[in-house]
Formats: sequence, structure tokens, C-alpha cells
Amino acid sequence: MAILEVKNLTKAFGGLLAVNDVSFNVEEGEILGLIGPNGSGKTTTFNCINQFFPVTSGDIRFKGKSIVGLKTHQICHLGIGRTFQVIKPLARMTVLENITASAFCRVNNINDAQEEALRILEFCGLADHNTKLARSLPLAGRKRLEIARALATKPKLLLLDETAAGLNPGELDEAIDLIKKIRDTGISILVVEHIMKVIMTISDRIHAINFGQTIAEGTPQEVANNPAVIKAYLGEERA
Amino acid sequence: MEKKKLQYALIGGFILLIVVLFPLVSNNFIIRFGTDILMFAIMASAWNIIGGYTGYASFGNVVFFGIGGYITAILMEKAGMHFAVAYLAAGFGAALFAVLIGLPVLRLHGHYFAIATLGVAEAMKALVQNLEITEGNSGIYLPMLDLSIKGQYYFFFYMMLGTLILTLLLTYLVLNAKLGYSLIAIREDEDAANSVGINTTLSKTIAFALSGFFTGLAGSIYAYQQAFLKPGPAFSVQTTVKMIVMAVFGGMGKLFGPLIGAFSIEIISETLSNYFLVAHTLFFGTVVILAIVFTPKGLIDMITQRKFGISYFLENIREHRI
Ligand SMILES: Nc1ncnc2c1ncn2[C@@H]1O[C@H](COP(=O)(O)OP(=O)(O)OP(=O)(O)O)[C@@H](O)[C@H]1O
Ligand SMILES: [Mg+2]
Repeated sequence: MAILEVKNLTKAFGGLLAVNDVSFNVEEGEILGLIGPNGSGKTTTFNCINQFFPVTSGDIRFKGKSIVGLKTHQICHLGIGRTFQVIKPLARMTVLENITASAFCRVNNINDAQEEALRILEFCGLADHNTKLARSLPLAGRKRLEIARALATKPKLLLLDETAAGLNPGELDEAIDLIKKIRDTGISILVVEHIMKVIMTISDRIHAINFGQTIAEGTPQEVANNPAVIKAYLGEERA
Repeated sequence: MEKKKLQYALIGGFILLIVVLFPLVSNNFIIRFGTDILMFAIMASAWNIIGGYTGYASFGNVVFFGIGGYITAILMEKAGMHFAVAYLAAGFGAALFAVLIGLPVLRLHGHYFAIATLGVAEAMKALVQNLEITEGNSGIYLPMLDLSIKGQYYFFFYMMLGTLILTLLLTYLVLNAKLGYSLIAIREDEDAANSVGINTTLSKTIAFALSGFFTGLAGSIYAYQQAFLKPGPAFSVQTTVKMIVMAVFGGMGKLFGPLIGAFSIEIISETLSNYFLVAHTLFFGTVVILAIVFTPKGLIDMITQRKFGISYFLENIREHRI
């Protein structure tokens, strides 16, 4: 069963159709990769799903129910967590406080929230940094914090926006492991990533867009060999 | 850790004891000075909830002070109610007003929020100047407190002290609960806060209401103490500026920062005005500017970090480049 259904989603910024009639499903328990060249509308799709932007037309259904028109914080309570491409650490809070703030999404008591936060930090390999200020973490740490913060809200579906960008090869492998580990806990994942090594290894299926429109969908192998996809990426390189 | 807590508790208890006993060994003038410090400590601490923790720098918090004062005046003078009733009504009335203006105004960010709140306070002043029930520009009298002169001084001092303790205690509880985490998350990044399920509109509105509540209580005590209220002084922009300067000077987003700020700013400005009759505001301004450049995290950071000296100042300047 599909946990997320995006149907004919369109988002216009003035005259620009950032997302133009895009449809895809995320199945329960799978990792769906969303790829496309720069400016093709991936982040905008995320922003529509968690209702950061009002959608122009189309429908988004989570567990069968339309979520269009809800508030961003309600989307999170329903069970959709997200990270930001331009990371947004709560800079002057400690790592533990960052995660505690989002653990309050599910519990009301501070002890429960802290306990949950500690568990998540352990899971994400950040437990040694608890008392550090978020802004003092290196990039890889802040990217992990971004994931941990979304996880602490106990999502059923996680939207990851380029959480591997800027990492060195060793850190990349760790990021891949973490994403797989999250999937193994039963969380469905929609992941945007430019690094082919990452997206090809972790995705069960891939949905490719360009200029806001779908150009291909299928297994990583199928998509990698799709002429439209190759053209989109090579075309971009030539430009 | 536990030992440190005990140490803090002992120091805190000792300071509180001194403050409680302070009026008994002081003359009326000094008690009144202490009462003023406490009043500003309440208002700066209340401002800290919305400005310091939530990151919404209100430039109109005096409106809650004025509203608290006028509610007290009207209920006591026109409706013959007891001060206890008027005091509570002042707090809740100011909080309600905060909710009503907060709904539109808290959608604005940064400078826009600052200007909008400033506008609300000025508009309220104009309204009060023209209403019949507030007796307009000529001002409204309140019944006198039926106590000896000394008793009156004691009464207002301890009312302010009690209200300050209430303010700090509630703020402390908020900080250790979901709401406190939500407010600081909003300050650090409102989009991130929203995305982790924090109802930012609701949280901000509660913060503004709390800020209004305590400021309204201070206004109520002040009105009763003065026994006379005029729109100009009750809604003076300068009062807001003072709250902000005190909170920043002592340490924004720190529980005891504004209290330390209120205490030191009042002492400094009093001392300066004793020495320099004419130019004291100039000196005062200079002190404030230097403090903000060299210790933008406030006095409390210097005290708790036990840091002082050139390297600390330089570190601060580097971190908060202007
Ligand atoms: N808030 C906005 N207002 C106006 N235009 C926007 C806004 N956000 C995105 N756009 C435009 O929409 C288009 C799609 O942007 P989007 O950020 O979704 O691309 P992306 O696929 O995430 O790209 P990248 O790989 O670079 O992150 C771009 O042309 C962008 O300039
Ligand atoms: Mg993007």
C-alpha cells in the first residue's frame, strides 16, 4: 500500500511552474529516490508535501487521506518528518536540547522527551556530542542532527533533502548506513540526493524529474539507463 | 553538579533574604528606589519571555503596563473594587490584550514586528487620551492605600518583590517544559520549529500573553502606588526602551539576566545623575553602547562564565560582528 500519494502536483511561483503535474507514490517501507538536475523542483516538492507552501493544484495523500491545506506542524503530527537542504540547526541550543524540542512532538513530559532524545542520539551516533552547542558541530554532525531532529518526531515517512551533500567518502558510507538503518525500523523514506553513488545504492525505486516534470520512474538500473535522464544530466553538464 | 546547584541555591537564598529584610533598615527614599528596581526587573523579565527567549523584540510592551494601570484605576475608582481584584484583572486583562493583538502582529518578523508593536502602544495611548472612562489627558485618580506612610512603602515594595518572584518562578517552570523548548526553537529557527510539530502561532501567542500578564501586574501596582495615572507616562516609549536595555544589558534569554540588568542599570543611572546633572544621559548612553559592544551576551554571561578582560571582550566582538 502507498503511504504517500502525490497526484498531479503543480506549484507555480508567479509564471514559473517549479513543479508541473508530477505524480508518484511512496510505498510502505520503501526508499524512493527523487532525482533531477539543479532547480528541477525537488525541494519545492518537499515544501509542498509538508505544506510549507500552499500547492497550486493537485493532491497529496498520506495514508489515504488528503493533507492539502493542513498546517506544517499538523503534517508532522500526522507522521511526516523532513530535513532541510539548507540545514537549520537550532544553533544556540545544545544537541540534546535540539532533539528534545522535537521529541515533545509525541510526549508532554520533559523526562520522557529527554529519554526519547537520548535514544535517538544514540541511534544516530551523536550521543557523544549531547552537551555541545549545535553550531559547534562539524558539517557531518549538523547533517546528522538534521536527521535526528526529524526522527525524534517519530515519523512514518521521512523526507531527506540532500543529507549527504558535502560529506567526504567515509562520511558518505556512514550516511548510507544510517539511512538504511532508519528504513529497517519500518520508516518509509523519500530521498533527494545528487550523489549518484548514494541514490543508486539506497533507493528501491527512483523517480526522475526535470523542469518540474516527470521524465522517468523505475528501478535504479532502469532510470540510470533511461535516455531522457541521461540527456537531462548531460545537457546540464554541457550548459 | 549537585554541589554546584546547592551552591547556587545558597547564594540565591542569601540574596533573597537581604532583599526581603532590606526595607526594614532603609529610609523611605531608598525603599522607593528599591521598589522601582523591582518594578523594572519584573518588566524586563517579562520582556525577556517574548524578546529574549522567543526572539520577538517587542517595542510596545509598555502597552501592557499602561493597560494594567488603567484597568486597576477604573476598577478601583469607578467600580469600587478591592485592589486584590483589580490587580488580578490587570494581569489577565493585559494578557487578553496580548492575545488579541498577538494574533495579527506575531505573524510579522524582525523589524516589522518591532514597528507594529510600537504602533500598538502609541495607538493605545491615543485611545486612552480620548476615552471618557479613562478621563483622557487630565488623568485619573485612584483611592489612596489606607496605611501609614511607612506601611505604604513596605506594601508596594513587597508587592513588587512578590510579583517579581512569581514572574521568575513561572518563567523557570516554562523553561523546563515543552513550551520553553518550543519558544527557544522558534527563536533559533521558526521554520525548523514548525517542521518538528511545534504549533508556532500558539506558542508565540502564549509567550506574548505571559509577557503581557506580568507587565500588567507591574502596571497595576505602579498605578496604586502613584494613586494617579496619566496616558503620557503610562504609555511612554521610554519605558519600553528601558525594559529592553535592561534585558540586553543583563543578558537576554537568561532567567536572571534582566533582573541583573534592572539592578545595575538603575544603580548606574542613579549614580551618574548624582555626579553629572546635565550630561548624565550622555554618559548613560555611552555605558550602554560599550556594554553591548563588549558584552553582547550580558553581564550574566560574565558572572556565570567568570570571565573578564580583554580576551573575553575580543572573543565577544568576533562572535557578534557588527
Ligand atoms: N520560494 C520560491 N520562490 C520563487 N521561486 C522559487 C522558490 N523556491 C524555489 N523556486 C524556484 O523553483 C524552481 C525549483 O527549485 P527547487 O529548489 O525546488 O529545485 P531543486 O530541484 O531542489 O534544486 P537543487 O538540486 O538545486 O536543490 C527553481 O527555479 C527555483 O528558483
Ligand atoms: Mg533542492
